[in-house]
Amino acid sequence: MVTREVRVLNRAGLHTRPAAMIVRVASKFDAEFFIEKDGYQINGKSIIGVMTLAAEQGAALQLTFEGTDEEAAAEAMVGLFDEGFGEAR
Amino acid sequence: MPGTPPRPSPVTEAPAEGSGRPERVFTGIGVSPGVAIGSIYRFATEQLIESRGPLASDAVPREVARFDQAVLTAEQDLLGIASIAREKLGEESASIFEAQALMVRDESLYDQVVACIQEDRVRAAEAVPVVLAVQRRRMEASPSLYLRERAGDLLDIQQRLLRHLNRRKLIGEIQPHTLIVAQSVTAADLMVLHRRKVLGCALDFGGATSHVAIIARSLGLPAVMGLGDLSAAVQGGETLILDGFEGTVIVHPTPETVQRYEHRQRRYRRLLEDQKRLIPLPPETLDGHTVHLRANLELEEELPLLHQYNAQGIGLYRTEIQFMMRGHLDPTEEQLYQTYRRVVEGAAPHEVTFRLLDLGGDKLMPMPHREANPFLGWRGVRILLDRPDLLALQLRALLRASAHGRLRILVPMVTQVAEVDRIRAVARLVRTELQEDGHPVAPQVPLGIMVEVPAVALMIDHFARAVDFLAIGTNDLTQYALAVDRGNDLVAGLFEDMHPAVLHLIVRTVDAGRRHAIPVSLCGQLASNPRATAVLVGLGLRELSAPPSYHPEIKRVIRSLNLPEAEALAQQVLVTEDTETMHEILDTWLDEHACGFRQIFEAQAPGPTSSPSA
Repeated sequence: MVTREVRVLNRAGLHTRPAAMIVRVASKFDAEFFIEKDGYQINGKSIIGVMTLAAEQGAALQLTFEGTDEEAAAEAMVGLFDEGFGEAR
Repeated sequence: MPGTPPRPSPVTEAPAEGSGRPERVFTGIGVSPGVAIGSIYRFATEQLIESRGPLASDAVPREVARFDQAVLTAEQDLLGIASIAREKLGEESASIFEAQALMVRDESLYDQVVACIQEDRVRAAEAVPVVLAVQRRRMEASPSLYLRERAGDLLDIQQRLLRHLNRRKLIGEIQPHTLIVAQSVTAADLMVLHRRKVLGCALDFGGATSHVAIIARSLGLPAVMGLGDLSAAVQGGETLILDGFEGTVIVHPTPETVQRYEHRQRRYRRLLEDQKRLIPLPPETLDGHTVHLRANLELEEELPLLHQYNAQGIGLYRTEIQFMMRGHLDPTEEQLYQTYRRVVEGAAPHEVTFRLLDLGGDKLMPMPHREANPFLGWRGVRILLDRPDLLALQLRALLRASAHGRLRILVPMVTQVAEVDRIRAVARLVRTELQEDGHPVAPQVPLGIMVEVPAVALMIDHFARAVDFLAIGTNDLTQYALAVDRGNDLVAGLFEDMHPAVLHLIVRTVDAGRRHAIPVSLCGQLASNPRATAVLVGLGLRELSAPPSYHPEIKRVIRSLNLPEAEALAQQVLVTEDTETMHEILDTWLDEHACGFRQIFEAQAPGPTSSPSA
């Protein structure tokens, strides 16, 4: 199991487009992927789940990966957050 | 606005449901012009299936398979719609449908629905709303406006799944040349319906400014919204008349009514033919004065209308929809810039006047926000100055777009000169930042204000000194001058945007523009009303901005008048003591000048009104 702490950097927060990006990237990996915010955990491969996080700019999230390719999945996902989903900050 | 009106399906002498049924008139809001006559297709997307007791255990795998199939079909639908949307509406709308496609095949939704089917033995059509209701409640309780509005997406996908699961007729099975009656449709539905060649659309919900209404107008599909309980009152198959001018629909029309509307339809078609003749002609009075006709637009997809109607640029580009359509207030600067740039380039060589975000406070507050008196509250520039992030974002996008064509910036709901100064200061700052970042910006970007509060018109010289142009917004100006809320049925009848008091405020503004040598335009609803055109020209206005489909009729009036005549008419109207007399004067004048629109817009009253709806 791999865990990572990330922050939402883009100004708009996790709206539809970033949520779709997260789900698309997560689905490329076999590892299970969960996102937790303030004690509320969701399946990171579910766009509806990601949207119900209501994660706005600055929100801190814990990412958990579990599976054979968990390291690669974690790296790809942290990269996505670090780039702020290619959106304005 | 239809280019060619749709052909009606044949109507029998006796209406479909037997000649015994009484004619019923429903009144709503005409959101897209045209007259359509045909039989009703009842488009029931929302109905939840009633429970029929638990599933037998051997039926469970079949029910799961049905759900699989519905998910697959819904996903394919949405991807198909996304590609249509990309062509017709642009990348932004397409991305919404693509995200909805991801939502229908969401794995946790799928797992939960399948668990419901297997463990609770409920049908998929019952399980889907139960599962989605939990997620929807979570989103609706969110402090983020964006997420609250995204809950609507979940409702959309629920309806789409149910439509497949309930084996109701899909849009694809709708007979062409029918009239759609529904509680509501999505913008996506409307585009597909249009391809199925439906004649028109009558909806229980919605109003003239909704996204669906805008799309209906762009597609030229006659539509009436806000019909209350129409969809509950019809079954489908009945004959229906839809009048997108008056905002009425008539169920079970008598043969006489059908005849009357067929006549109206023919006239409208002739009028459209005749309008084509007017389109290439200049908007000039008989004695050679030009009255510039500009367009009111709010979607970049409407840009082709500029050329179709030969409009001289965009007098009012509303910018709210890009924020609202995306369901949140955070489009990026880049997205806004790209849109504004395409709009400016699309309108070239003419100018585009962008109105800064004109929101009511309720749309912006993170928590449900109530003001005792919202029209006197947190609106327009008041919000922009309280939300510098939003203001700077939009100004950056606009100033960047200014490098690609002629652009003006219009500030809404100004009541103090200091507000203009503050906006100017932010604009200067933004300009410097952009230039430091290496973005080209036009050397001069005119800044103007909406004149929509009487205080501004009364102290107009103070404002005229501080701005580069003035744009009169008659809807709010009328509402504030006459203390009438148009949305309040009890007093809506008192709303009169040609009230002499309003006209006096317009005169003050026009005169100040002349004294200070700055342009004055009028972009409220009054500008779209050909009844008012002669008076407005007579008051000194030389720039009118209206939805392009109204241009031919306005131009018809302009081309049929001499300036001294119009001035005399305006003076006469300014001193009338009651609006009834004023309209008599106008009618006489218009009849003498043989303006065709009266025949189609006014000569035909609707049939007997037995409507129970408001």
